[in-house]
Amino acid sequence: MSARLTLAVPSKGRLQEQVNEYFADAGLPMKKAAGARGYRATLAGFDDVDVLLLSASEIAAALISGDVHFGVTGEDLIREQAQSLDGRVTLIKKLGFGHADVVVAVPQAWIDVATMADLDDVCAQFYQRHRRRLRVATKYVTLTRAFFARAGIADYRIVESAGATEGAPAAGAAEAIVDITSTGATLAANGLKILDDGLILQSQAQLAASLSAKWPAPVRKTAETLLSRLAARERAKASLVLRVRLSGNAKKILAQVQKLAEAEILSQPGAKEYSLLVPRGNLMIATDILKGAGAITAEEADYVFRSGDPLVTAFAKSLR
Amino acid sequence: MTAFPNYDSKKIAALDAQAQSILGVFERHKYIRAEPSVLQPAEIFLDRSGEEIRRRTFAFTDPSGNELCLRPDITIPICKMYVGDGIKLPARLCYNGLVFRHQPAEPERPTQFYQAGVELLGVKDRAAAETEILTLAAESMEAAGLSDYTLKVGDLGLFSAFVDALDIPPQWRGRLKRHFWRAGYFEALLTRMSKGAANDAQRLLAHLGTLGDAEARAAFEGLMDLFGAAHQGARTREEIVDRLMEQAADAALRFDPKMAKLLSQLLAISGPAEKALTQIRTLTKSAGVKLEAPLAAMSARLATLKSLGIAPNRVSFAARFGRNMEYYTGFVFELWSRDAEGAVQVAGGGRYDTLLENLGAKKHIPAIGYAIRTERVLAAKARRT
Repeated sequence: MSARLTLAVPSKGRLQEQVNEYFADAGLPMKKAAGARGYRATLAGFDDVDVLLLSASEIAAALISGDVHFGVTGEDLIREQAQSLDGRVTLIKKLGFGHADVVVAVPQAWIDVATMADLDDVCAQFYQRHRRRLRVATKYVTLTRAFFARAGIADYRIVESAGATEGAPAAGAAEAIVDITSTGATLAANGLKILDDGLILQSQAQLAASLSAKWPAPVRKTAETLLSRLAARERAKASLVLRVRLSGNAKKILAQVQKLAEAEILSQPGAKEYSLLVPRGNLMIATDILKGAGAITAEEADYVFRSGDPLVTAFAKSLR
Repeated sequence: MTAFPNYDSKKIAALDAQAQSILGVFERHKYIRAEPSVLQPAEIFLDRSGEEIRRRTFAFTDPSGNELCLRPDITIPICKMYVGDGIKLPARLCYNGLVFRHQPAEPERPTQFYQAGVELLGVKDRAAAETEILTLAAESMEAAGLSDYTLKVGDLGLFSAFVDALDIPPQWRGRLKRHFWRAGYFEALLTRMSKGAANDAQRLLAHLGTLGDAEARAAFEGLMDLFGAAHQGARTREEIVDRLMEQAADAALRFDPKMAKLLSQLLAISGPAEKALTQIRTLTKSAGVKLEAPLAAMSARLATLKSLGIAPNRVSFAARFGRNMEYYTGFVFELWSRDAEGAVQVAGGGRYDTLLENLGAKKHIPAIGYAIRTERVLAAKARRT
C-alpha cells in the first residue's frame, strides 16, 4: 500500500446521505471519482485520502481485517463482526446519526414474560416440554451469544436470519428475536415487545480506525490532520465567539466568566476588545456576567482548532 | 500457546509414551478402548448442549446439506455409540483422542487437543463407582508422572437434598431446584421470595395468587383473550397460562427470610473440604435439617482420596461448584496444577445420570466418567523440570 489513507464510507441509503452531509459540513465534500463505477470518491482538500464506497457491513469487515484505515459504519456491525475490538478496531467518534438499538424481543402474547430472567425460566420450561431448544432468530449472532451468556441463559438455540428477522416468530421460524429498532414500531407491528432489560447495544454511526491496518508515518499524519479538522468543526458548532469591550474591572470579570461560563479568553491580556470562546449552552451565563460592559456581539466560528486535540491524542495513543 | 498446534517427533514421542502409561492404567482396570468418529452429526451436540457449547463447536454444512461438526467432546458420542447397540451393563469404556473447540474469546488457545478418559456406565452402587473413578484418576495421574495437583470437589445432589429437607411448601422445592442452575434468576427469585413483589405486575400476580385455582385460571384466560389470535411462537396458550398460575402462586407465597438466608449461606460455603463439610453440618444442625446421606457420601469420597495418598489439604469443596457444567448431575471434581502460565485444569469428571436417557437409552443408566487434558499435564510437568 502506498502512503495513502483509505477511508471507507457507506455506498447507499440514508446512512450514505448523512455521512456525506457530515463531511461536507466540515468543509470536506466528497466527490465520486470518474470512471470508478461509483465505488471510489475523493475528499476535497485531502489529496492523499482514498475514499472507498462499500456496504455498511463490508466496512466493518474491512476495518477488522485492516483493509482500510478509517471507516464510518454502525457500531452494531463492528461489534457483531469483531467478537472483541481489542487490538483490531478503535471507535474514534460517535457521529450522532444512524441511531439503532439492538434489543431482545418476544411475542406480545407472552404476558408472563417481561425480563431476561423470565426468558431464562421460559427457555428451561420450553426445553422440558418440547424436548428442543427455544429458537432465537437474529443476524447478530455474536452479540446475542455474549448478551445471553451474561444473563446466564444457555437453553436456547440461535436461528440465523438473513433479513426481516421481526417476521420470524409470526412465521413460526423462531420464538424470540434479537434485532435493531429505532422506534419499536416495526416490532409492535409484528406483535413483538422488547424485554425490560433486553437492550443489548445502543448503536449509532461511528468513525472508527483499524488497528490491524499498517500506519506508516505519512498516513498517520494525514489521519491526524483529518481528525483535527473534524474535531475543529464539531467544537465550532458547540461554541460561540463573544466580542466585548471591557474597562476597569476586566481582570475580575474575565476570571468570573472563565470559571462560571467555562469561557476561553482568546485575546491578549490588556486588550480593549476581548474575544471569548463560550460553549453554546453557557451563553446566558456569560452574557449575564458581562452585561455591565456594553454591547456584546456573538458569532459562530467555522472551525475551532486546538493543539493537542483530545480526539487526535486518543487516536495516536490507540495506535501505540 | 497457539491456535493450531503442530506436533513434532519429540512431542509425538512424549504424548505417545504418556498415552501408553495412562491407557495402561485404564486397561488394567478392565476398561475397553473405543473411539467414536471425529466427524459427527451436529444435532446431538447442538440440541443437547445449548448455545454455550455450540459457540465453541466447529459446525458446518457438508456438500449434501447435512449439518456436521468436529466432536467437541468424547463423552457424548461414545455414550451415543453404545446406546444404539443395546449395551451390556455395567460397561467400562476408555479412549484417547482429539477433540475440537472453537475459541472465539481467546484466539491463542488451541482449537484441538487430546483427551484421555473413561466412562463407567450402569453401576448401581454409586459409592463403589465413585471410588473406582477416583482410584483411576489418582493412578492415571501417577502414571502420567504428575503429583503436585490439587482437587476441587462438589456435589450437585447436595443442594436438592438440602431443599428437600427444608420445611417449606412442596411447590417451592421444585421451583428452587429447577432454578438452582440459573444463578441470576435464582438470586432474583430468592429476593422476591423473601422481600415480596418489586413491581406492579408482581403485585397483580400476588393478588391473583390469593384466588382459587379456577378463578385465577379464568382471569389469566381472560387476559390471553385480549391477544386474540396473536402469535406465540411454539409456546402454547396453555404453557403461558400454566406459567402465570405458577408465578401467581409463587408471588402470593411468602418465603421465610430465614430460609432464604440459609440457602444463601449454604451456597456461600467453600474452602478446604473437611472444614467445609463441618460448616455444612453446623449449618444443617442449627436449621434442624437432616442431610446425613449426601454428607456421608462426600465424607466417604474424601476418605477414598486420603487412602489414595491425596492429603486432605489438597482437596477443596464449594457448594456452588458444578452449577455451570454441562451434563453433570451429582458428584463432580476437577484436578488442577500449574504450568508456565499459571493455574490450569488438567483433568475433570463427574456423575451424569441422565445423559444416556437423553441420548435415547430405554432405561435409567447411572454413569460417571473422567477425562485428562494430556497436553496440559505435559506442560505442567515441563514447568517443574
